Formats: sequence, structure tokens, C-alpha cells
Amino acid sequence: MHMHKLEKIWLIFGISALVVFLTVIGVSAFYLGNKPPSCLTTIDPEKVDQQKPFDKPGLNKVEGKAWDYELVFVASAFSYNPGKVEVPLGAKVKVIATTKDVIHGFNVAGTNINMMLEPGYVSEYTTTFDKAGEYLIVCNEYCGAGHHLMSSMIEVVK
Amino acid sequence: MAKAELKTKQKTVIEDKSSLKGTLASVFFVGAFIIVTWVGVYYLFLERF
Repeated sequence: MHMHKLEKIWLIFGISALVVFLTVIGVSAFYLGNKPPSCLTTIDPEKVDQQKPFDKPGLNKVEGKAWDYELVFVASAFSYNPGKVEVPLGAKVKVIATTKDVIHGFNVAGTNINMMLEPGYVSEYTTTFDKAGEYLIVCNEYCGAGHHLMSSMIEVVK
Repeated sequence: MAKAELKTKQKTVIEDKSSLKGTLASVFFVGAFIIVTWVGVYYLFLERF
């Protein structure tokens, strides 16, 4: 098949760009372990308050795990529990959240913590809070009449 | 008798005048845009916690 020289150049360029992009995504997923926040852990949505770790919402120190703290949030129409939480700067935290009623969002504005909370499922995201400041948590899944009032706050303090 | 045209010795030269330089430039322009936006978004993902 005859192919123009310039045609070969842009085909090589396009294919190598694709290979680079997919390799970066692959390394991110399989080597660095990045995954979607819903890890398919299930929970009975009617008994959230009685089950660990959701019986103690807020920041809990843990020992012997790859992270220092577990930050537990329970969402329900139209609020988060806790409504405000302080996290020490530099702490490695596993954010664990679920909902008691309908689908809610869990977006810590300006960060990569952005999860969908589905009734019956537990969503998790592990990260290191390495920048001090106030971070607003908002619901970004329309959940009902009070959707726009649903918020919480994480304060990363020294 | 008229000469049959097929027997002329004159060669018909077909020149390929179609240039693909403009197409190459356009492809690289779009490619550069895609790479810059992709790298920008990935940098944002790495920079934030």
C-alpha cells in the first residue's frame, strides 16, 4: 500500500500519543492503585448508624493500617454527619462515606475527593491532606428539595 | 491516413501536485492542543489531594 511520507509521520505521532496516554493511565491504575471510590463494599442502608465504622462519624485515629486516620461521613437528606471536622496537616486519611436514604454526592471542592454515595454501598478515598485550609464539602448529585443546602466543612490545621 | 494517437511517442507525465503539508500542520495543531489539555488536566489531578 502506498502511503505518503507525511501521512506516515502523523500516523506515528497519533499512535504514539495514544500509547503514552494509555500507559500513564495503566501505571496509575495497576501500579499506583488508583481506582473508583466505590469499592463495592455493601451495607444495609437502614442500619447504617449501628454498623462500624458509621456508628462513630468523624475523624478516628487507627493503628496498624496504611493510613493514620479514618474520616467517616454519613450523608442523609439534606446534611452530612459530621457538619464540620478538623484534620491535622499532613495526615494520611481514608475518607469513608455512605448514605442512609437516596443517592448523594460527596465533593470536597478543589480536591480530588469526589465520590457518589449510593444507598447500600460504601465509598472510600485515601489521600494525604498536605495543604492547610478550609475545604467545603458539597453534594453534587441532585438529591431533593434541600440539595443546595447540603454541605459540610473540613478544616486542615497545623 | 491519419495517425493513430495511440502510437505517438509522447509520454503523458502525471505530476502529483497534491501537497499534504497543510494537512500535516493541521494534524499537529490539533495534536498539540489535545496533548496540552491532557497534560494540564493530569497535572491538576496530581497536584491536588
